[in-house]
Amino acid sequence: MKRKLISAIGIAGMMVSIAACGGGEDTNDKAGADGYAGQTLTVWVMDGSSPDQWQKDVTAAFEKKTKAKVKFEIQQWNGIQQKLTTALSEENPPDVFEIGNTQTPAYAKTGGLADLAGLKSEIGADWTDSLNNSSVFDGKQYAAPWYFANRVVIYNKKVWADAGIKELPKTRDEFYADLKQIGEKTDAEPIYLPGQNWYHFVGLTVGEGTELVKKDGDKYVSNLADPKVAAAMQTYKKFQALSKAPKDKDESTPQQSEVFAKGRTGAFIGMGWEAGTAIQANPEIEKEIGYFTIPGATADKPEGVFLGGSNLAVAAGSKKQELAQEFLKIALSDQFEGQLAKLNGVIPNKESLQTNLTGNAAAEAAAPAAAGGGTTPLIPEWAAVENAPNPIKTYMTAVLNGKSPAAAAEQVEDEFNKRLAQQQ
Amino acid sequence: MTVQTERPPSGPADVRKTAGAGEPGGPTPRAASRAGAFAPYLLLLPACAATVLLLGWPLLKDVLLSFQNLNMAQLIQHVTEWNGVDNYKDVLTGEDFWRVTLRSILFTAANVVLIMILGALVGLLLARLGRRMRVTLLVGLVLAWAMPVVAATTVYQWLFAQRFGVVNWVLDKLGWHSMADYSWTSSQLSTFFVVTVLIVWQSIPFVAINLYAATTTIPDELYEAAALDGAGAWQSFTTVTLPFLRPFLYATTFLEIIWVFKAFVQVFTINGGGPDRLTEILPVYAYIEGVGNQHYGMGAAIAVLTILILLVISAYYLRIVLKQENEEEAGL
Repeated sequence: MKRKLISAIGIAGMMVSIAACGGGEDTNDKAGADGYAGQTLTVWVMDGSSPDQWQKDVTAAFEKKTKAKVKFEIQQWNGIQQKLTTALSEENPPDVFEIGNTQTPAYAKTGGLADLAGLKSEIGADWTDSLNNSSVFDGKQYAAPWYFANRVVIYNKKVWADAGIKELPKTRDEFYADLKQIGEKTDAEPIYLPGQNWYHFVGLTVGEGTELVKKDGDKYVSNLADPKVAAAMQTYKKFQALSKAPKDKDESTPQQSEVFAKGRTGAFIGMGWEAGTAIQANPEIEKEIGYFTIPGATADKPEGVFLGGSNLAVAAGSKKQELAQEFLKIALSDQFEGQLAKLNGVIPNKESLQTNLTGNAAAEAAAPAAAGGGTTPLIPEWAAVENAPNPIKTYMTAVLNGKSPAAAAEQVEDEFNKRLAQQQ
Repeated sequence: MTVQTERPPSGPADVRKTAGAGEPGGPTPRAASRAGAFAPYLLLLPACAATVLLLGWPLLKDVLLSFQNLNMAQLIQHVTEWNGVDNYKDVLTGEDFWRVTLRSILFTAANVVLIMILGALVGLLLARLGRRMRVTLLVGLVLAWAMPVVAATTVYQWLFAQRFGVVNWVLDKLGWHSMADYSWTSSQLSTFFVVTVLIVWQSIPFVAINLYAATTTIPDELYEAAALDGAGAWQSFTTVTLPFLRPFLYATTFLEIIWVFKAFVQVFTINGGGPDRLTEILPVYAYIEGVGNQHYGMGAAIAVLTILILLVISAYYLRIVLKQENEEEAGL
């Protein structure tokens, strides 16, 4: 009797393991007796978005829980869409990847992102709604909100002191006057503002209360001819004139934080973590770095900002769906989401985690503006606009080189509309 | 052509040799010659196979893609959507394509003219230089030629950088203070200027060395004869040197046209076809429409049209070269 029982258990055991194998062949590797040992999960993160310490700690927790390995691969924002499209079409796409919030709807529409409804109901009940918006397409959850951030002014305290400035500016005009004073009293460049920092430009349009596109019937068309957009561009131009930065390059060529790291620049407009890049390039600069909210037209309302953000998505073609979700559960857990917020000074995906930002100078400078922040429209058509050569960047350079905003708008509108109307 | 008469004996000569040395027990002479007749084809096979594999197959794929609606979604989900000649219709009816085509042709013409004139002058200089200077110049040319395209382009980007570039620094020191922070990539003409300097610099060695090699085949007696007839330097150049060089000039021009026309790397790396898409030449246009904007079918159609245009342009030159060879053979 006992023997029969043992053999029955043995057979049951074998059947389970066969079932497990079957699961594996079903393009979905499931956990065996030994967790996910022997598997490696590939995770794409963008340059600078997650600090080494965070990656190390998440890796340790993930490997402990699942026995699988995780490999982080750092990607650059420039040209990421082409790279991601190709990767998603291949046999072995990255299992988990970071994707910009403005790019998410387009990829959700392509069918390249796995449905994360299960994950949302398991860990995402209290994700901040406004931050989760970009992850939802046609009512389905295609990504998980990871972190959000808006730009601040990062300044060099020594340069500002040398210029004799005692108080930080509260309005746009004060900010401009201070920068002018730096230009006159020191030999530093007052501000490093390349001609194509288009995220800052989007922020300025948000501040003016307008958008880059408008709805025409059921499709989106360019709104660059709007006088409010022109006003935003004039503000940009006024500040850009104080910079010697190239008018036809964006903030990453060369990396503005590395220019700033040389200590010959009064300020730049960037993400809080860009200060980290500057410190890496020149550790001496650390004690000189300060942050303040980008001042708005009046003292009571900060400048409009682009609410940049990133989601984490799972490739629909990944063969490790379950493991990928395990990774997301760990990476987005309160512990690690909180750690990321703390280390990078970014807004976490839950309001309850915002306490992590207290004491982080960059985050405290960013916070007042976040409420008045906005994004580019969260529509699948938008991703095409960001492809090089981005017509918004072309518009900016044209104005900075002396064209009137109206003429520059006219120059790029055909291309802009063509991209918004592109067949997907 | 003179050089071609000096080529080593080809296939049939070898066959005769092996047939003559036919040993008893070996293949009969007739069988050997039959096998020998296949030998040239057999030897051609690896080259043909490589061409078909590396050029023919991608070309076929490209043609197939050009009849498809292939964007992000189709690529990621692996769906094939045939759309007939829609891509071609879109490209050919849009004014962008024709503007880019005209720009490509002008760009190629300007570059090739510069390359041929400067290259030929350097080649003739090589022929007249003393030994030591000639070796020095040759080494310089070979180094410029051997430099990988991307590396050379990167160096030029540094040279012409707005803030820290040595070109602006030198111009500033020479007194052009307005050039101190000049952005070379800010306008169409200045971008083309940088690209042209780069391409001409990269191409001169090939033309120069080729033409120098050609001058070494001209017999000295001809110059002596010309001198006896009272020809000056210019006359002996036009009556002796030039006729000898003509076939080489045609051949190198032909190669340079192809090379400049498809100079994707230089144009794309220097300024990505900018500013405002004003320096896009056909291959860059195909890339930006196809890969950049993720309309792979459209990009493929532009690429196919680019190949056709290049064929038409080079067919004209090929005809001249072939005609001339026929004339020379008839003359012999």
